[in-house]
Amino acid sequence: MGLRWNRFLILLTAIGIILGLYMALVFAPTEATMGHVQRIFYFHVPSAWVGFFAFFVTFLGGILYLWKRDLKWDRLALSSAEIGIAFMSTAIITGSIWARPVWNTWWTWDPRLTLSAVVWVIYVAYLMLRAMVEDPHRRARLASVFGIAGFASVPLDFFAIRWWRTIHPVIFTSQGFSLTPKMLWTLLFCLAAFTLLYFVILIQRLRLENLRAELEKLKGGE
Amino acid sequence: MIYLFAAYAVLWLITFLLVLSIELRQAQLEEELKAIRKGEK
Repeated sequence: MGLRWNRFLILLTAIGIILGLYMALVFAPTEATMGHVQRIFYFHVPSAWVGFFAFFVTFLGGILYLWKRDLKWDRLALSSAEIGIAFMSTAIITGSIWARPVWNTWWTWDPRLTLSAVVWVIYVAYLMLRAMVEDPHRRARLASVFGIAGFASVPLDFFAIRWWRTIHPVIFTSQGFSLTPKMLWTLLFCLAAFTLLYFVILIQRLRLENLRAELEKLKGGE
Repeated sequence: MIYLFAAYAVLWLITFLLVLSIELRQAQLEEELKAIRKGEK
């Protein structure tokens, strides 16, 4: 991607995030039961979405590496996994902060919360596995298999609140959204802004991996 | 209100730390690359 496109994407993301903040804090109406604390929702859900999407990219990167045996797909998988962990951490922590005044507890072993913690641990293990293997292709092969198998936890986490009895609310149901139009617009806008933020960070993270690959190549040629 | 601000602070702190760590690692690798290329010349 060219420098101008990259700058344009960064600018667009910055505008999106600022507008998203305005919509979440001012434009969206105050929820009748929970009050202002419900506004955490507009960044809690997009964080979880980016986490899930990032792990999906890791899953895709793993498949493409095993198919093409090109390390660039492994670099994509790794970059995306790291971003996914950061956003999943955000989703878990903001959810916990929201739970304290609403559920009267920081944490409960509810299916959604437990599975989110499991997803987080799986991808931390993915990074630990990578750190233990030296050979780039062996590392990529193992990580790809782990990334593909580990992704099974993501849809399980997504559907947990639909399949099992849980205290976590369901927003997207087969009947539609259980939100007022202003709340829905704010959520959709924040989802778009966070997706842009993911791509901006992914480009920078990929650049880092490409530099590392270049360095390893130069060192190997010494 | 305190919970709302705490949640937003955590969100932006984690995002900031992620971007900062990427930038720092990039700068370190660029320096290493520069040093190796200088050595080659």
